[in-house]
Amino acid sequence: VVWIYHKSQKADEYLREIKEQGLLAEAVRQCVEAAGHEQEAETQKTLLRVKPLVCTSIKNLAHSLFSLSISVSAASFGKCFLSNFPPELFVIMCRDLRVLNAVRDYTVGIPLTHTQFKQMTVQVLIDRLVYRKLYPLAIEICRYLKTPEYQGVSRVLKHWACCKVQQKEESDEVIARTISLKLGEAAGISYSEIATKAYECGRTELAIKLLEFEPRSGEQVPLLLKMKRSQLALSKAIESGDTDLVYTVVTYLKNEMNRGDFFMTLRNQPVALSLYRQFCKHQEQDTLKDLFNQDDDHQELGNFYVKASYKEKRLEARVAHLQSAVDEYNKAKNEFAAKTTEEEMRLLRFQKKLEEEKGESLVGFSLHDTLRTLLAVGLHKHAEQLYKDFKVPDKRFWWLKLTALAEKEDWEELEKFAKSKKSPIGYLPFVEVCVKHHNKYEAKKYVSRVTPEQKVKAHLAVGDMEGAADAAIERRNEGEISTILSRCSPTTDRALVERLNRAKSTAAKK
Amino acid sequence: MAQSGRRDAPELPDFSLLKRLARDQLIYLLEQLPGRKDLFIDADLMSPLDRIANVTTLKQHEVDKLYKVELKPIVSTADQLCFLIRPRIQTVKWISDVVNLDKAAGRLRRYKIIFTPQKFYACEAVLEEQGVFGDVTCDEWAFYLLPLDDDIISLELPEFFRENFLEGDQRWVGAAGGALRLIHSLYGPFSKVYGIGQCAKMVYESWREQVEDGEQKTQQPEIGNVFLIDRDVDFITPLCSQVVYEGLVDDIFRIKCGSVEFGPEVTSSDKSIKVMLNSQDKVFNEIRNEHFSNVFGFLSQKARNLQTAYDKRRGMDIQQMKAFVSEELKGLKQEHRLLSLHIGASECIMKKKTKQDFQELLKTEHSLLEGFEVRECVSFIEEHINRQISMIDSLRLLCLLSLTENGLLPKDYRSLKAQYLQSYGIEHLLTFSNLKQMGLLVEQQPGETLTVMESKVGKLVNDKTAGKLTDAFSSLAKKSNFRALSKRLVLIPKSGEEYDLRVPRDMAYIFSGAYVPLSCKLIEQVLERDGWTGLEEITRMLNGHEFAVSGGANGTESRIKADSQRIVLVMFLGGCTYSEISALRFLGRERGYKFIVVTTAITNSGRLLEALLDNHP
Repeated sequence: VVWIYHKSQKADEYLREIKEQGLLAEAVRQCVEAAGHEQEAETQKTLLRVKPLVCTSIKNLAHSLFSLSISVSAASFGKCFLSNFPPELFVIMCRDLRVLNAVRDYTVGIPLTHTQFKQMTVQVLIDRLVYRKLYPLAIEICRYLKTPEYQGVSRVLKHWACCKVQQKEESDEVIARTISLKLGEAAGISYSEIATKAYECGRTELAIKLLEFEPRSGEQVPLLLKMKRSQLALSKAIESGDTDLVYTVVTYLKNEMNRGDFFMTLRNQPVALSLYRQFCKHQEQDTLKDLFNQDDDHQELGNFYVKASYKEKRLEARVAHLQSAVDEYNKAKNEFAAKTTEEEMRLLRFQKKLEEEKGESLVGFSLHDTLRTLLAVGLHKHAEQLYKDFKVPDKRFWWLKLTALAEKEDWEELEKFAKSKKSPIGYLPFVEVCVKHHNKYEAKKYVSRVTPEQKVKAHLAVGDMEGAADAAIERRNEGEISTILSRCSPTTDRALVERLNRAKSTAAKK
Repeated sequence: MAQSGRRDAPELPDFSLLKRLARDQLIYLLEQLPGRKDLFIDADLMSPLDRIANVTTLKQHEVDKLYKVELKPIVSTADQLCFLIRPRIQTVKWISDVVNLDKAAGRLRRYKIIFTPQKFYACEAVLEEQGVFGDVTCDEWAFYLLPLDDDIISLELPEFFRENFLEGDQRWVGAAGGALRLIHSLYGPFSKVYGIGQCAKMVYESWREQVEDGEQKTQQPEIGNVFLIDRDVDFITPLCSQVVYEGLVDDIFRIKCGSVEFGPEVTSSDKSIKVMLNSQDKVFNEIRNEHFSNVFGFLSQKARNLQTAYDKRRGMDIQQMKAFVSEELKGLKQEHRLLSLHIGASECIMKKKTKQDFQELLKTEHSLLEGFEVRECVSFIEEHINRQISMIDSLRLLCLLSLTENGLLPKDYRSLKAQYLQSYGIEHLLTFSNLKQMGLLVEQQPGETLTVMESKVGKLVNDKTAGKLTDAFSSLAKKSNFRALSKRLVLIPKSGEEYDLRVPRDMAYIFSGAYVPLSCKLIEQVLERDGWTGLEEITRMLNGHEFAVSGGANGTESRIKADSQRIVLVMFLGGCTYSEISALRFLGRERGYKFIVVTTAITNSGRLLEALLDNHP
């Protein structure tokens, strides 16, 4: 087949013959393959030339490959003998040969055959070049073969950098700068790996410098820990936003440092601190207390004791915890919390005493609930005492007593209560509570005592339309008149409606 | 709702893919433990799991019995145990106990823990500490997102709120970032990401970091814009009483994982009925975003229509009747069933909410928002506490008072707290301590009026040389600045004007026309301005951390479908309310957007405050 190239008379004949046998494609393929097995660049060229000759459709492609050492002779010779031969085979072969020829060069000296090359893959070839420290050539090949950066150029650069850090004669400063300059724009570089290498060579300072270039702070942490730069590791972990990483460092620190130093470290890192607190809340309550102690966080300590108090069943233990809480709140200058906690202790003792005397279950109730229970079971005296001792606001007490009495339907007592002194909550609630318990008769007793502003409401609550109308008209309040009107039915209350409408128009005129 | 606004709103992406992916992965994980096994499931994972893989599916993959994790000794006799749990220390400790108990009894079993959505180092540390690390195998089920409806996706992580905003524990940030990455890889690339809040920023960064591990996007984007917002940017909105139907149902019956259980008082039988609430329910879909005052009118209209449809039967011949029964009747029956349920629910709501108490409560809320007659509000709150009406509602009003007034007067602060403790017990000292830390219930700083505060903040911002700006801020951060914000953003519509709730003119309709939700207003403004320009004053008062980043800066702008640009994904970190979702739906209709809400969990005032209680050990 090679004869084709030799322009001889016979070539044309041969060509026609092959074509007639339908073997042209096979012939071209063989030529391309043969080129691959040829060591001599010249012969390779010859063999490869067959292809463009027969296949003009890939003429342009061949031209673009001109830059390769495998130059392609004038395509003008070519006639379209074969138009559909796939170009890939040819292109790949050209590229492979270019690479092979480069490494076969005496300065490199890796005499690979094409078969060997295919067998060992580009990756391995690059590795071999890297081991021979032929970094520039390796990078050229990667770029030429368009290997993805991550597997290609970046990998070579990393190896180069790892080698660079071992050059003892250069200063840390210089090496770090050179590396960052060279690696700057390459994708997928792991500075932490290079730094690890530097650390293994005993150049801790260089390692730290290199880690600075690592964009993913998470990657820096394991090495920093290995180098015992735990503080730095902690800040880097926090910077990464990965709480798992923070936690890893925290556990590491916990085992490495003494407790005091460990707490001090956490104190400067709020994120780590709150994470550790969360952990302690579930696992080590006592550590939590120590943490607050260390920080002199008396407020939190107080809260801690309050929380601890309601886990206790026994009263004494509970009160003891609360006392500790009071002390802490006082130290925290939180008078309010201290005072309320003291009151709670008083309340607990009171409840306990009463519980023993009367057999009512009270301990742990809020003041309000205690009062309500007392009133409900008729312990009015004790309720009064509690009301005075704890300075319960009048309004609350009146509401409580009112509801309690109404619930028991003790109307007589309620009336006495209403008359005992002037109600701090007014008398509308009396009306409403009675109505709620379906006792309009009792409710009406209080209507007259309701303030003028609320009178209409009171009359309406007991269903007294006439009364409501009188009150509203007296007050000449348009809004109230309208409210009543909306409650009237036009058929049954016709007279009333008329009266109200008249009053409304006069009120509006005013 | 009047179907006003633009009609050319784009179609929403199909999120059922998320479910399929989650299911396939779960099945794969179950098959990693071949043979029969018992499955223990965390209680709060049961409903979400049910949406992904039902019992039949689990049984098909050799799950024998299902148990709820109860942190008690187990009774299972199976040789293989599988635990499907959230990564919580308590649960892992319990599993260690189970394993150790078996060891002591000389019993051999295989154990597998599937953490979802991810495992934490702390959990493994517990396994190690308890000496069972080698006995169990651990896996991760990357179940980040559960679509609750066409436009609502939940991470189902209610603890996110407390842990992130109260405890300062940022371990869920990575999970939120992972969720965003999942959406991005399936429905992206996003062309623009906006956000406000410290957590939002961290989630954004976490997502970017996860993406950089080599993902090239070539597909057509389905979601164009993303907005990340922290819950602590706006606490007012979730603390207000909800008056839109879906929100009300959530406030009263508590919607759980997109479904609600209506008790006997609604079903008017002795049984409770579980109902899925989503756009598949035609009746619900039409009333969910309505102000409650319109719901009854709508329902009765619907009932009449239904009656007419039934009435068609009369005068039909056999053929027609046959067609009617086979084609329409089933649909009508279904609609009938749903209609009667929603009428029952509405009646129940009416009973509770039209009472005078509730009206006065609403009035107080509105006065607080307007800053009108504040003294009256304080006495109302006082009475509310004194009468022990509702633990959560009292707390809610206290917080609203503090947020709108930039803190309570020192005198009120002490007396209201003291009265609250008298009503509900001293444990709430801890609750108050939490609320203070969150900036929800604080004391006014003496001598610092609003204007002083503002100028102080202003100075800090202008003083760019102050390197540790954020540190300086943290002391001021807890200020809500609500009054000034509401003035600048016009959150309170002018009072005195009639507000027709049937034809809403702005998002304020979700609060009876009294208040435009701050969170939604921010989203509206940023989308309108395509960034934060012109909102500097506002972000300053919201404590900053705002950002706007263009994503697809690789010259593919022209290729991006115009439709995707009008699909906006809003991610609430710390939960969002149904009212906010309704407001966004309204905004979408008005402006031709479609909003997709991604939230760490659905919240409401009750859930939000309950998360901050500390009244049980």
